[in-house]
Amino acid sequence: MDGAILCLPDDDWQRGGVQPAMMPASTDALIRLKTLSKHYGSHTVLDGIDLDVRSGEVLAIIGPSGSGKSTLLRCINYLEPPDGGTITIGSMTIDAARPVARAELSGLRRRVGMVFQSFNLFPHMSVLRNVSLAQERVLGRGRAEAEERSMQLLKRVGLADKATQFPVRCSGGQQQRIAIARSLALDPEIMLFDEPTSALDPELGLEVLAVMRELAETGMTMIVVTHEMGFAENVSDTVMIMADGHIVEKGPSKEIMRNPQQERTKRFLRAVHDR
Amino acid sequence: MFPTQDEISAWLPDLLGGLSISLQVTAFSLLIGIPLGLLLALGVLARSRWLQVISLFLVEIGRGAPALVLLQFIYFGLPTTGLTLGSFSAAIIALAWNTGAYTSEIIRASLQSVAHGQREAAEALGLNRFDELRYVLLPQGLRVALPALLGFSILIFQGTSLCFTIALPELVSRAYEIGSTTFRYFPALLAAGVLYAAISIPAALLVSHVEKRAGLYAQR
Repeated sequence: MDGAILCLPDDDWQRGGVQPAMMPASTDALIRLKTLSKHYGSHTVLDGIDLDVRSGEVLAIIGPSGSGKSTLLRCINYLEPPDGGTITIGSMTIDAARPVARAELSGLRRRVGMVFQSFNLFPHMSVLRNVSLAQERVLGRGRAEAEERSMQLLKRVGLADKATQFPVRCSGGQQQRIAIARSLALDPEIMLFDEPTSALDPELGLEVLAVMRELAETGMTMIVVTHEMGFAENVSDTVMIMADGHIVEKGPSKEIMRNPQQERTKRFLRAVHDR
Repeated sequence: MFPTQDEISAWLPDLLGGLSISLQVTAFSLLIGIPLGLLLALGVLARSRWLQVISLFLVEIGRGAPALVLLQFIYFGLPTTGLTLGSFSAAIIALAWNTGAYTSEIIRASLQSVAHGQREAAEALGLNRFDELRYVLLPQGLRVALPALLGFSILIFQGTSLCFTIALPELVSRAYEIGSTTFRYFPALLAAGVLYAAISIPAALLVSHVEKRAGLYAQR
């Protein structure tokens, strides 16, 4: 029963809705980025990123600060509009070179959930309201239905008893779990995590990682920017290393973490292990 | 120098009548002015260049012109264009404009003080701009703005005394009238001053109470 709450919505949109001509022959990529680029003035943050993420895949993005990991994540749901390239999610393609219609943007954001480093819960609303607001306003659910669903999800992340509290009364780890529930409440197909444990002390980080691990096991497609090497190696299917706006290396997580090929990856992992 | 007991009882009905008009003008000016301030703040923050320019124009005149000048302009100046207003309406229009212009800056700054992550979370959840404003930014921003708005309301209450110049029978006019018939200007104005203080001082205490509570919210 728990699995049913977290599992992906029916995935027939991926198969039925896609025109065959647009469907890549070789993969069943749910997300496909093509030559995605982003500049701040003359500074290139993302330099033509090509990336496929399969449905159900958990991708960990690691790399030094300023490598463009977070920007990449934020470009995927257009919190940062990319300057060039395309983002394809299922049957929907957004071309960054032209202006994006509001309907496209809301379509994109309905499919993609996001969890922030600093949680960003709404401090003036109860925990329950945090989780149910967007269900009512974005999905058009009735209040009773939204609250029922919220309670299910809060139970799922172990925080049903916090429903009537305000976020400020919750620990950082609890707030992040509420933020995950808030995102899941919109039934996203993809979850983006932007350093979800970086603002937490190690113990509180663990409870968040446990929720993420469980989510991964239900088959959610996840892209996780992280400094948690344990998560990258053990939970994610694929690890990608970024540096200077490029993908340095990408492959099955155990392979990359244990036997990296690129010198830049080796250097980064050595620095992490030496700490 | 001070009003006698008899004078106080003779003047009080008149002065209280004036106070009531001052309070009415204050109430209407705020009821119209603060929502106007919100609209102007949104206009100044709007993406549309056009809306920005109009809002800025209204804000800059409302803030740039002294309230006294606005009052005189609307009461004495507009009739030359064929639009004649009673002193009560003219007072409300001028002070509401003044309120709108000043409070728009208070509200704008408060909205911009809401943490950037709040806006991002709202966007990532797919809330449209109106819902983002209604459910996320305004409740948090207005809470920040509340003490300043209440403080400004006290200023507007005191500012109603300027309406004396457009023959509105508010508190100062009444005191002045008493002075001109009895030649007891100082005691009459002193009595008016006490009445202003009787409203302003408790209101100021309320503001500091609200200010403390608004600060507590972060730790609720």
